[in-house]
This record gives sequence, structure tokens and C-alpha cells, in this order.
Amino acid sequence: MEYLVHILVLVSLYTTLTFSLDLIAGHCGLLSLAQAAFYGIGAYTSAIVALAFGVPFPGALAAAAGVAVLMSMAVSTPSVYLHDDYFAIVSFCFQMIVFSVLNNWLEVTRGPLGISGIPQPVIFGRPVGQLEFLALAAGLAVVSYLVVTRLTKGPFGRVLHAMREDDVFSQSLGKNTFYFKTVAFAVSAALAAAAGSMYAHYISYIDPSNFTVTESILILSMVIIGGAGSRLGPLLGAVTLVLIPELLRFAGFPPSIAGNLRQMTYGALLILILVVRPRGLLGSYGFEAK
Amino acid sequence: MSQVAANAVAAAASYLLVGIGFSLIYTAVRFFNFAHGAIIAIGAYSAYVANASLGMPAPLGVVTGILTSASSAATLEWAIYRPLRRKRTSSAILLLVSLGIYVCLQSLISLVFGAGAVSLRAGVISQGWLVLGARLTGAQVAIIACGMLGCVSTWLFLHATLMGKLIRAVGCDPELADVHGCRQDRIVMSATVLGSALAGLAGVLLAYDSNLTPFMGFSILLGGVVAVVIGGIGNVIGIALGALLLGFTQNAIAWWISSAWQDVLVFAILILFMMIRPQGFLGTASRMGAV
Repeated sequence: MEYLVHILVLVSLYTTLTFSLDLIAGHCGLLSLAQAAFYGIGAYTSAIVALAFGVPFPGALAAAAGVAVLMSMAVSTPSVYLHDDYFAIVSFCFQMIVFSVLNNWLEVTRGPLGISGIPQPVIFGRPVGQLEFLALAAGLAVVSYLVVTRLTKGPFGRVLHAMREDDVFSQSLGKNTFYFKTVAFAVSAALAAAAGSMYAHYISYIDPSNFTVTESILILSMVIIGGAGSRLGPLLGAVTLVLIPELLRFAGFPPSIAGNLRQMTYGALLILILVVRPRGLLGSYGFEAK
Repeated sequence: MSQVAANAVAAAASYLLVGIGFSLIYTAVRFFNFAHGAIIAIGAYSAYVANASLGMPAPLGVVTGILTSASSAATLEWAIYRPLRRKRTSSAILLLVSLGIYVCLQSLISLVFGAGAVSLRAGVISQGWLVLGARLTGAQVAIIACGMLGCVSTWLFLHATLMGKLIRAVGCDPELADVHGCRQDRIVMSATVLGSALAGLAGVLLAYDSNLTPFMGFSILLGGVVAVVIGGIGNVIGIALGALLLGFTQNAIAWWISSAWQDVLVFAILILFMMIRPQGFLGTASRMGAV
């Protein structure tokens, strides 16, 4: 039972991450490899704020989102000038920089040792149990779904889609692409950081290896496999890629082998989907050549 | 001081080898091929198998590494990239596919050899060679020699042979090259094989110099990519300058500040360069990054 709840919490957190990334990847058409960086920024900010200053969980979560929004400018500004491969490389560099800072800024992040003893969330004066935590995480996933859907259905979303199809053309219509991209990235980063904050308080121990580029690739794979830019594709991707590897656990492989097999499953599924059905299972946007 | 310079030149030579190989492939296929990182690691690990497991002498290990890298990249090109290119797949999708391939190959290597570092260094650690007051290991000397050789021969290949000119033609304008009867598949294949052979060579030589890990390819690849971005795609001399600039910056940071912050500064330089001068120092306006 505990195991089942744990899996559902993971699914909820990854769903938040995939919806937040889909705002960038699916709706802006920018292949960002930096989502795990915002996830990590959120987790670390929240953990540090909670341990060093004793800030309660809701405050720590807000701080995490705030820092991530500020940091998102480092990726959103280049995205105005750079496209396709070049943007992917910039986001990749950002991811590597964040990982390196988490790994080397010993005074603040404790480097590879990680931060332990992150307090359980306390809401209305009492600690949150595992089941209630699941409710919180699922709530965040629903919120991120609603935010992304709401943003992309209205006029804001139509501008994002216009920029995705033709950046220069939308500029010629007087759309301030800088503004739209900054807002999209800020929302996406804040949601990812909120997921990170929840993860930190749930697991109570974080270290940089949770927030590597491989994690970013995994989140992007979930979006692509589920279907970028579609309503429920990110959810489907998160569920599929969290559940399939769990089956490997039951097949009785030792953990060291299971970890590698899990990675290979992600990689192989990504290739397979892109070859057979580039739009993903439920996709509406296929990154076609312009 | 001279030791810093010597290490910088050795590092620059490895970035040069990887950068030239990457740029050669990029010129022909025009997408960011992340799988190149795995090709580097494959070369290094096959040299490890040849030397440490099968007991072959070092030069045979180098040859094995180069051949394995080139043939695995050729297989990927034939089995995955070529069919996708025929379907007119966009460069974004090809980039994602190469990420998938990278993840698969990297975890395959960890599965077989373990995620920890293994060492290729044979016997006792020797004192190395004394060059202009700096000590260089045998592997570093080999890297510098291969880097210079690779640079010169790639320049000659691109400018003096028919295939080299064809690769540049396809890189310039694939449709026009097609109209003139260039067979794109053959050109892409030869660029892939040559670029991956250089990657394999760099991987093997670096494996002799330090340890092997399944993740080694990514950081080496990024060094090469930084050199390419600074120097300009397809510009061999520019890439050489970029590699030197990168090598010196990295080693100066390691010397005066701390080696922990090398990566951060390298990636920051890369982001800055792409924002300010995406065509590179010496490059003319490139099609990359343009809308």
C-alpha cells in the first residue's frame, strides 16, 4: 500500500514536471533540456530555506517558485534570439551550470553529500502523512494542468503557437515575443520548482544526482512520448514512463542492472516513438521543419 | 606556468579532435548529434576491451577504438538517421532521436562495464616527458600530435579532395547539391565515418590519459562543441583557435581559482558566445540559429 502511494506521488510530481515542460516544448516549440535544473533549484531553495531559516512548507514552496522564476530569465532571454538546435544547447548549458553549482557550492548545498533531514510539511499545525501528501502532490499536478490549459487555450496561447510556427511573422504583427516567452518560461519554472519543493519535503533528502541532465532528458522524453502540445499527452507520458520501469523491479533484476535497463527503456521508447509516430501518442505538434 | 600552458595545449588538442569530427558531421547532417558523445565513449571502452581484457598492445587498442567508433556510427546512420532523413524529418526530431540513442548507449556501457571508473593505464606511472620545462604524459604528447595531424589532414581533406568538397557543398545548400547530382547519402555516410573515427581516436587517447566512465563522452563532446561554436562550424582554423582559447581558459581557472568552477565558466562562455556571435569568431553568417 505504501509502495503504491509512493508510485502515485511520483506520477503526480512527474505529471507536474511534464505539464510545465510542455508549455515550453509543445506550445512554444522550444526543446528545453533544463527542466530538471528548475526542479533542482526548487528542491534546494526549499530545503535550504526550511533548514536554515525554519520557514514553514508553504513559505518554502513560494520561495522555491520565486527563485526559479528569477533564474528562468537566464533561459528565456536566449530563447528570444536562438532557435532549434542552438536553443537546445543553451538550455543544456544552463542545466550543466546548475548541476555544477549544486555539486560544487559546498558551503550552501553541501555538494555531493546532499542535504538531509528536510522537515516534513506541516499544514494547519500538524505534519502531513503519506496519503495527505499524495493529495497535495496530485493537487499540484491538477493545478499545473489547469494553468497550462488555461494559458494555452486563450489569446496568450494563440500568440505562443504563432511564435512556434513563425517567430518573425508574429513579431511583424506587433507581438512582443520577449514578453510572451519570459512569462511562459516563468510559469513553467515556477511549476517545476514547486514540484521540486514537494519532492524535497517528501523524500527529506536531496543530492545533485537527482537533478542531472539525464533527468531533464527523461522529462522531455515523457512529453514527447505522450504527445507534445496535446491536452493529456504529458499525463500519459508521465504515467507510462514511471510505471513501465517499475515493472522491471518485479521482474527480479538487481537494482544496479534495473537502473540501467530503465534508462535503456526510456531511450528506446523515445527513438521508437519518434520513428513510428513523431507526434507522440496523443500529440498535436510534431516539430516539423519550417 | 609552463605546466599550465602544456596542460592547456593538451586539453585543446582533445577538444580540437572532437570539435573537428563534430563539425564535419554537423556540416553534412545539420542537426546537433548528441550521440557523438556516446561514440567517443564507445571508442574508449573498446580500446579498454582490446588492451586490458584481450591483452593487445596499445597501438592495436587505438586502432580498435577508431574502427569500433566509426563502424557503430555508420550503423546508426544507416539504420536510424538515413530512413528518418528520407522522410524529411526536422532537425529537432533528429536531435531528440540522437538523445535517445545517447541514453541507450550510455546505459548499455554502464550495464556491461559498471557505472564506476575503470583505468587503462598500464604498468607504473612514468615520469613523462620534459618539454620546455613542463611534464607531459606519453598520452598527452600523443593527443597533441594527433590533434595537429587531425587538424591539418581534415583541412586538406575538406579543401583538396572531391569528397571533402562535396561535404562542403551539401553543408552549404543541400537542395542545390542534390540538383547537381551529389548523392547525399554517400556524402553523409563518409562525413559520419570520418568524424566518428576522430571521436574514437580522441576517446581512446583520453582514456590512456585518465579514467574511463560511461559518462565521459558528454563532457568531452561539450568541450569540442564549445570550440566549434567559438570557431565557427566547418572552419578548421577557427575551431583550432577556439579549442586553444577554451583549453587555456579552463586551465587558468583551475590554476588560479578552482577546478570545481571550470565547467560553470565554460558553459557560461558558450551561452555568451551564442548570444553575441552565433557564427563564431571567424565564421561568416551561418544558417544555424537563423529563423
